[in-house]
Amino acid sequence: MDVDPQFNLQLVVSLPGHEERAWQVAWNPAKPLLASCSADKTVRLYSYQRSGDDQATSPSFSHISTISTAHTKTVRSIAWAPSGKTFATGSFDSNVGIYEKKEELDDENGLDESEEWECVTMLEGHETECKSVGYSATGTLLASCSRDKTVWIWEVHPDADFECMGVLMEHSQDVKCVAWHPTEEILASASYDDTIKFYIDDPSEDWYCLSTLTGHEATVWSLAWSPDGNYLASASDDLSIRIWKRVDQYNWKFVHQLRGHERSIYSVSWNIGKGTSSKNMGWLASTGGDGKINVWEISQPSEQATKDTLCSKLIASISSAHDVSDVNSVQWCPRSGFEDLLATAGDDGSVKVWRVVPASS
Amino acid sequence: MNEIFNANPTIYTKSKRSLRKSPFETGQSLWVDDIEQQDWSDASNVEPIDQDEVFDLIRSIADPEHPNSLEELRVVSAEQIDIGNNLITVEFTPTVPHCGMSTLIGLSIRVRLMRCLPPRFKVDIRVKPGSHQSELAVNKQLNDKERVAAALENPALLETLEKCLATAGSQE
Repeated sequence: MDVDPQFNLQLVVSLPGHEERAWQVAWNPAKPLLASCSADKTVRLYSYQRSGDDQATSPSFSHISTISTAHTKTVRSIAWAPSGKTFATGSFDSNVGIYEKKEELDDENGLDESEEWECVTMLEGHETECKSVGYSATGTLLASCSRDKTVWIWEVHPDADFECMGVLMEHSQDVKCVAWHPTEEILASASYDDTIKFYIDDPSEDWYCLSTLTGHEATVWSLAWSPDGNYLASASDDLSIRIWKRVDQYNWKFVHQLRGHERSIYSVSWNIGKGTSSKNMGWLASTGGDGKINVWEISQPSEQATKDTLCSKLIASISSAHDVSDVNSVQWCPRSGFEDLLATAGDDGSVKVWRVVPASS
Repeated sequence: MNEIFNANPTIYTKSKRSLRKSPFETGQSLWVDDIEQQDWSDASNVEPIDQDEVFDLIRSIADPEHPNSLEELRVVSAEQIDIGNNLITVEFTPTVPHCGMSTLIGLSIRVRLMRCLPPRFKVDIRVKPGSHQSELAVNKQLNDKERVAAALENPALLETLEKCLATAGSQE
């Protein structure tokens, strides 16, 4: 496989701490915070900062909080609300937890900067393990999915109040992942039944499934929308990543396949990256049971005739990212100025932060 | 268990146990971290492993519905174990093609190996091709780490599993 030598994955920091397998990492979209969740039932929070404004330096990370969740089993999934003030957890105990920072009034400065987070509500509804949670772009909707084959859509009301807007029973097996479109209220879900489904809200009716994508030959573990929302990437146990293009309002078409893993691909993340070409569609990172992290630059082909295709180039790759462990999650930092940072979580219980750097530095 | 899937299984003689004691055969606890006498982080400690050593780890696991070991029922055999580069593939043969215990048997093999082997080994578990009517479904479930992890947090299932594993490693 061709690896363009122009970039390396440089380890910024290794953050051990979870006592058991770390399942997922989640960057706060608004504040310099990184969260991780684990089979040890805790969520760990790290803050980061750069010394000065020089974007060439890597930020330094410090552990600020270990939150003992109210979950009785593995915390499988974690997702921040767009405001960065709330996060949701999905657990094998079948519940979804909602956490907010305790606001303590300080006489002099107004709000005190404590790092105490508390569970403000526990959403019950799934019958078996919750596997993934996610907030919509505006933060007004929350989706969760489970081994019980359902996807639940919750409307977020003030004061930690949630209303179930729909229970979608479309998949024939476990639902592994939910992912909201970056700007519109379209939800995608991936399943153990090897398919991907899309849902929208019919204003006069309920939420419904508008499209199903088949093509993967095994469990689809993870989904990532392109930053512009025109593409969806899916990662599978069939060792491939597929990219689907939105060809009209409610139709998607398979346009590109990426191969570069030898074991199940558990996680995929897509952000704008720091590519320079005008046809650049961003950077896509993937990881999985082979312990490898791959970073691909996705771009549009130059000729108009092939507009329904995409180009990809593997620009950086590292093996044994978490020593011998599987890597369960990869996520790009969504904050401006940090687009070259990604975080991973592994079976070794550690979280690692990596930076994509030019090979010469 | 309400239903016996194979009421009358054929029982085979056990082969002679290999005399050497595998360095891997120490784990009784669920997590490898608890094995104090081994330091897997030291690269010079990396031991090669062969079919017989892996077989020794799983041969005496008890069948969930018979008072026999997986070896006595020919559910597992050394020949059905494949060793690659840190990848171990264990094939097993359900006694009957409709065996409803197959996922439990496969899970017991997976958990036994997870407890005994250093984490550098990745393990794939499959039923022998053509030996089970739901071959793909059983294989898919046994190799889905999320389902396996969730199963091990199910107290009832874990209890059943521990009964199968109680005899594992016994010298008889």
